[in-house]
Amino acid sequence: MIEVDVKKRILAANEEAADSLRRRFQESGTLVINLISSPGSGKTTLLEATVDALREKFSLAAIEGDIATERDADRLRRLGIPARQILTGGACHLDARQVIRAFEEGDLGTPEVLFIENVGNLVCPTSYDLGEDFKVVLLSVTEGEDKPFKYPAIFSRAAVTVITKSDLLPHVDFDLDAVREQIGALNPGGRILLTSAKSGEGLDEWMMLLTSELSAKRTG
Amino acid sequence: MHEIGIATEIYRLGRETMEEGGGVQLETVIVAIGDRTGVEPELLCFAWEAITTGSSDHGSKLEVQWCPARQLCDNCGDVAERAPGSWLRLCPLCDGVLRLEGGEELDLLRISFTTNDNPELP
Repeated sequence: MIEVDVKKRILAANEEAADSLRRRFQESGTLVINLISSPGSGKTTLLEATVDALREKFSLAAIEGDIATERDADRLRRLGIPARQILTGGACHLDARQVIRAFEEGDLGTPEVLFIENVGNLVCPTSYDLGEDFKVVLLSVTEGEDKPFKYPAIFSRAAVTVITKSDLLPHVDFDLDAVREQIGALNPGGRILLTSAKSGEGLDEWMMLLTSELSAKRTG
Repeated sequence: MHEIGIATEIYRLGRETMEEGGGVQLETVIVAIGDRTGVEPELLCFAWEAITTGSSDHGSKLEVQWCPARQLCDNCGDVAERAPGSWLRLCPLCDGVLRLEGGEELDLLRISFTTNDNPELP
C-alpha cells in the first residue's frame, strides 16, 4: 500500500472558478450579490422591486438557480433585464462553475450589478463561493423568529440580512427584537434591513445600500 | 445534502492523486473538516459509501479529522465554553465580540492506495 500526502482544499476547483469570476467582475466593475434564503422568502419579489427601482440608473442582470422551471428568470426578463436560469436538476445549491457557464452561454452582457439568486435553501449554498462581493440572506416574517439560531452558518456569513414581508407583521407573532439580537450575536458587523416589497418599507434603504456598494467597488 | 457534492470532489481529487501515483484502488482517504463549514462528518461518510459502492474503490474508508474553531475574546482570552453547534459571536463571560480562528478546514490531507505491483502487501 502506498501513502501520499495531498494537502489540497476539497473545494479547490470551486474556489479557483470563484476566483476567476472575481477577477472578471473586478475588471468589469460589476457588483455581485449572492441571494440566499428558504424557498418562498421573497427573493424574486425583492429582485423585481429592485429592478423596478434601479434599471434606469444601472445595467442589471440576474442568474436564477432553481431545481426546475424557467419561471424566475422569466419574471425578471419581463421587467427588461437579461436573466439566465440555471436548472440544477435536484442539486440544492449553485457552484461557481455553473455561474461561469451561465456567463459563457447566456446573453448577460456586462452588467453593473449582477444578482445571483441561489436555490431556495439555507444550508448548502453557504459552502459555495460564487465570486460574489457579499451574501445577502432573506428572512420573511412568516418563517418564525428562531431561524438565525437554527441556521447559524448563513446568518453569520451574510453581510446583510433582509427581513421581508414586513407588511404582514401585524398578523404574525414575529419578535423583531429577538431576531435582531440573534443576528447581532451571530454576526456583530452584519446589517439588518426591514422591508416589504408590497408596502415599500425599507426598499429605499436597500437601494441605497446597493448604490453605495457599487460606487465603493468602482472607486476601489 | 451538500455532503454528496463534497464527497464527490474528495473522490475526484483522491482518484486523480492516486492515478498520478500509479495506484489502482483507494484504501483510505483522510480529510480535515472544520466545525464552521456546515459539513456533517457522519453524512459525509455516508455519502462516501454511496459514491464508492459499485466502483473499483468499493470498501475504501473515509476518515474525518474534526477541527473545532477557537474562540478569542479581547477581555477574556481563549473562551472554551461553547455549546456544540453554537455559532454565537459574543463572549459568554463578558458579552464582548468573539473572534473565531480556524474551523474553516475543508482539506484533503492524505490518501493510501494499492498498486498493481503489490496487491497483497498490507
